[in-house]
Amino acid sequence: MSIVLSCEKLTKTYGRTYALRDLDLQLEENVIYGLLGRNGAGKTTLLNLIAGGLFATDGTIEARGKKLGKGAIPEDCCYVRENSKLFGGARLMEILQFAATFHPHWDWAFAHKLLQTFRLDPDKKIKQLSRGAESLVGNIIGLSSRSALTLFDEPVLGLDVLMRERFYKELLEDYANHPRTILLSTHLLDEIAPIAERVYILDEGSLLLHEEMNQISMAAYLIRGHSDAVAAFTEGKRVLHTESYGHGKLAAIFEKLDDGDRLQARQLDIALEQLTLQKFFSYLIEGGR
Amino acid sequence: MNVTFDEKQPIFQQVADIIEDDILNGTYREDEQILSVAQFSQLFQINPATVVKGIGLLVNEGILYKKRGLGMYVSSDAKLKIQKQRRNRFYKELLSSLISEADKLELATEDIIEMIKQLRKE
Repeated sequence: MSIVLSCEKLTKTYGRTYALRDLDLQLEENVIYGLLGRNGAGKTTLLNLIAGGLFATDGTIEARGKKLGKGAIPEDCCYVRENSKLFGGARLMEILQFAATFHPHWDWAFAHKLLQTFRLDPDKKIKQLSRGAESLVGNIIGLSSRSALTLFDEPVLGLDVLMRERFYKELLEDYANHPRTILLSTHLLDEIAPIAERVYILDEGSLLLHEEMNQISMAAYLIRGHSDAVAAFTEGKRVLHTESYGHGKLAAIFEKLDDGDRLQARQLDIALEQLTLQKFFSYLIEGGR
Repeated sequence: MNVTFDEKQPIFQQVADIIEDDILNGTYREDEQILSVAQFSQLFQINPATVVKGIGLLVNEGILYKKRGLGMYVSSDAKLKIQKQRRNRFYKELLSSLISEADKLELATEDIIEMIKQLRKE
């Protein structure tokens, strides 16, 4: 697997505040990554640093093995901002024409198809668009650019459920035909779970977890049973959060379970259920302290 | 803390199942008080009206009873009642899905019984 982008000890401070602290990150070729974290965790800062919009206080970014200089952008990279700051007076088509000149693999046929899928009028001015429609314009650029490295910052912000589903469908379909590396930040975790192959979870500027989506769904459980049984079962396992009620107890765990564990759970009369990514995320972040 | 409620069953039914599970595993004993609606609603993050409905189901079945002004209590024969109901469910749902899978795999009844005996020994 070749590495498209790697960050080492990446740090960004604003005055005394650390927006990012010693972040190590590696993006492999043709993988879809989810970038997760609560508000202010450093997601946008990270994307801005990669796309050359911000200068790192410390640390390095390498694109395909070559160190990026200050303000340099990785080759063949498309960054779709959350707040796109497109020129409001321009028409949608003019914006697309402008974007097309920056991206060598731009596909006009695909862009036109997306305009229809997302029900956008290319003659409309940017300032006339709703919040959701603005996100969609960015998404059309991100998808049509077919860039080897595409960064999406909250691409589904302001979109209704139907448009979100259309976006995910187009993304996956086009990714299947034209594999590339995609890093996508979002707060809608359960929607990204089936789409991302791996996730990076940031908290307060640091990396909290980097894991394959499959590994998370196979190891994140909520267990419920008698307090003694739960205590016996969770011994030696990584417990994210517990809550007691009377003689009963709930516990969120992050541990791969084997057949022996399952047998033990049955014998102890413990109910086991998988946690969704969203619940896992909140226990991971809140339960840790 | 919230449990993932699946879509296969109505949520009030799942509330009743959670309380039943807790009676079976000894979290609640006979004539002991169960969580209040407010506590339950908070703990599992479900609408209180749904909790009331789930508890009502168990009251109708005689598994829980109400002490006026105090709250809900576990009936003395609750465990037996739940076991009886669940045996019924075990027979109707679990066994029939087991058999339909076994048919697909062309397993004979004797084979299935042998497997069950093996597992129960472990």
